[in-house]
Amino acid sequence: MNKGKGKGSLTPYLWMLPSILLIAVFVLFPIAIVFKLSFSEISKAGVVGGFVGFRNYVDAVHLPAFRTVLTNTFWWVLSVVGISTLMGFIIAMVLNQKFHGRKLARSILIFPWATSLVIQASVWNYIIKYEYGSLNNVLLNLGIIKEAINWRSSYHVEFVWECAVGIFVTIPFVAFCVLSGLQSIDESLYEAATVDGAGFIDKLFTITIPLVRPALSVSTVLNIIYVFNSFPIVYTMTKGAPANKTDTMITYLYMLNFYDRKKGPANALSVIGFLILCLCAGVYMISVMRKEEL
Amino acid sequence: MKTLAGRNRMALILLLLAGLLSIMLMLLPLYRFSASVYTKKSGNTFAGDEKYLEVKAEVESKADQFRAQGLLVDISETVTERTNSKGEVTSMVAFSVVQTFTKSILSFLYAGLPSSRALWGMLVCMLLSLILSGAGLIGRMDLIPKYLDRRSKGLRSLSVFFSLLGTTLVPVFILLNNRCFWRRLSLYEQDLLTEGREEFYALLDSFLFQGKMGEEAGTVLKNLRMEHSPLVWVLLLLFLLALSAAVQIRYGSMKSKMLRIFLFAFVIAVCVITLYPYYVMLITAFRSNAETLDMYFLHLLPTSWKWNNIIDIVNRGVPRYLLNSLAIAGGATLLAMLCGIPAAFAMARMNFKGKKFFLGFVIMSQMFSPVVLLIGIAQLMNTLRLNDSILGLVFVNAAFNQAFAIWLLRGTFSAISLEMEQAAKIDGCSTFGSLTRILLPMAAPGIVTTLIFVFINAWNEYTISTVLISTSSHKPITVGITQFSSFNMIEWQYLFAASLLATIPVVILFMAIEKHLTSGLTSGGVKG
Repeated sequence: MNKGKGKGSLTPYLWMLPSILLIAVFVLFPIAIVFKLSFSEISKAGVVGGFVGFRNYVDAVHLPAFRTVLTNTFWWVLSVVGISTLMGFIIAMVLNQKFHGRKLARSILIFPWATSLVIQASVWNYIIKYEYGSLNNVLLNLGIIKEAINWRSSYHVEFVWECAVGIFVTIPFVAFCVLSGLQSIDESLYEAATVDGAGFIDKLFTITIPLVRPALSVSTVLNIIYVFNSFPIVYTMTKGAPANKTDTMITYLYMLNFYDRKKGPANALSVIGFLILCLCAGVYMISVMRKEEL
Repeated sequence: MKTLAGRNRMALILLLLAGLLSIMLMLLPLYRFSASVYTKKSGNTFAGDEKYLEVKAEVESKADQFRAQGLLVDISETVTERTNSKGEVTSMVAFSVVQTFTKSILSFLYAGLPSSRALWGMLVCMLLSLILSGAGLIGRMDLIPKYLDRRSKGLRSLSVFFSLLGTTLVPVFILLNNRCFWRRLSLYEQDLLTEGREEFYALLDSFLFQGKMGEEAGTVLKNLRMEHSPLVWVLLLLFLLALSAAVQIRYGSMKSKMLRIFLFAFVIAVCVITLYPYYVMLITAFRSNAETLDMYFLHLLPTSWKWNNIIDIVNRGVPRYLLNSLAIAGGATLLAMLCGIPAAFAMARMNFKGKKFFLGFVIMSQMFSPVVLLIGIAQLMNTLRLNDSILGLVFVNAAFNQAFAIWLLRGTFSAISLEMEQAAKIDGCSTFGSLTRILLPMAAPGIVTTLIFVFINAWNEYTISTVLISTSSHKPITVGITQFSSFNMIEWQYLFAASLLATIPVVILFMAIEKHLTSGLTSGGVKG
């Protein structure tokens, strides 16, 4: 690292000023607002009153749907991140092989990543419709099923579908992260291992996984944050219905704030979500910083 | 240890055996049909009374008529007893003459059904595979495949190709039959589909009843039932066996090549599943409203392409939404780059106090997608009088992509050697000059990647826009399309036509940076 300007000069800070300003106003300020509101009394119309301590938090925890929403969020994040990481890893391993049409396959795999989530969710909404949905139609026409199947018979099933769509759109991100890790592995390592008589499983656990781990951990932590924050899939497919049974934290606090007008508890939930993310971010930062040489 | 010639001979025998076994399987009566050819209901009749015997005799004579025609029929009778409102017991007897019969797979050959063609394909493929393998082996029984001449290599490759083709045709055959007898027939039966009904009934009549039903075919076929034995799937196993034998003959070893075939199958499956929603989006966008709600749709493509859907959505404000999205995404990208490039430059090329802190700050802000701060942002925009404006979205999108932009750009800048800039500095170039004239042109690929990435993120953003924007003429496309799906009516064709227009540009952009994505994604974050 070269010295550039000497320490103590203002120049570097000036170079960074626009960026700092932008982040401060539009990222830090909202954080401050949410924190402040969560400790204040707010009317349904949004008029901010005085300091009420932790009352909003107590209200939030005592909301009837709080437990359901928390469990849903947990399963949502766990299943989407877990399964998409596993499948993304497998797909990346396959796409790292040399074969004709590999470029094409990679281009196709990128589609879900490039598509807006609200569009993806709308299409899947159509696909799994009972009366005229494309999935029933295709399966019937292929002669795989005899009768149309009701794909959304209960809210449990609907929630599973939401998770499935979440997995579908998350896989490309994981696959490409892992792929970038795989491409940096030196071919000769595998050749040496083959000479030593290592099989596929040996190579997987002694070479591939350890060397891909950094890429995998970045994608996993980023995914936890993206998936936790994901709003359009649940909102488009069920809007949390029936009675918040399919809501996750984010869709719930949206409904709470903008529909039910319970702004106090909504802000408190926002802070809780924020703190959960901070925890993830902290873990991520420590792991990245450890590798950085600054 | 076996010799190569021995192994080749074994494989050839295996191939032959698989062929013979599949022919034998095809001769078995695996398909079972039942159809009631004649029904007679007799009301107010009790089992065993005079009327019952009378009707029974009539039905029996009818059955004898069928038997005289050479059909295999059984008589089944059902008695329904009911107590009516006056407390009297009434009874009804229904007789039906049910014809059950079985068909072997091979009998489908001349049925003229869609599956017949697949069956012909299977047989021809199997035969060709056998002949070609044999021809490729003649005189070269003990030659290692690597050193074969082009002719026998080609012959053996063709053999593999044909057995692969034959193998894929097996499920095609089975599913085509299911489609025919489960789907098509039931649609005709319920009068949900009429096109091509006469021809189809005539085909089935000649296949199942040797054309004896004639006029009655319609009524008889209405209650035709088809079942197939699970044994038909054994055929697939036999074809796979033949395939592996052909692979063994061509490559001398089976393991790696079979693995390769499975790899291809896996990749194709992944691609098909990935593309499926896009296919649905594409065809639905060009179907009429009635057709999008039609569960009896039998076609792969719309029956007539409704280009009018595009005109309709144009009239309903979609171009406006697209322009808004362009303004938001373009503005946000510009702002993010204008702020991000100097910051990334400072972090890559300068040393200063608090750099580590700033870096941490940037990573932290990357963590908070705007969604969890939704309420705070809405409040802030109210204060700044930026709610319901495109400018507000430009700022928010730029701010929340800032972290990612700096991260990617810093990685790109750090990877470029310092020498050119140092040389420029000696020649009297300012820091700003060395950035714009030297570093930026050299970092172009990384900058383009970052640019496109930020653009796509901003283009696809939905949640903040849906909260901040209420005026229709300010909506970006992601929010604008939701007007086509109100609570009780969804105009799928418009929804997907607009979605298509919103998706195509970003997918193309993303494909353009795909190559840089794999390296850029982690170069900033992981390797540092």
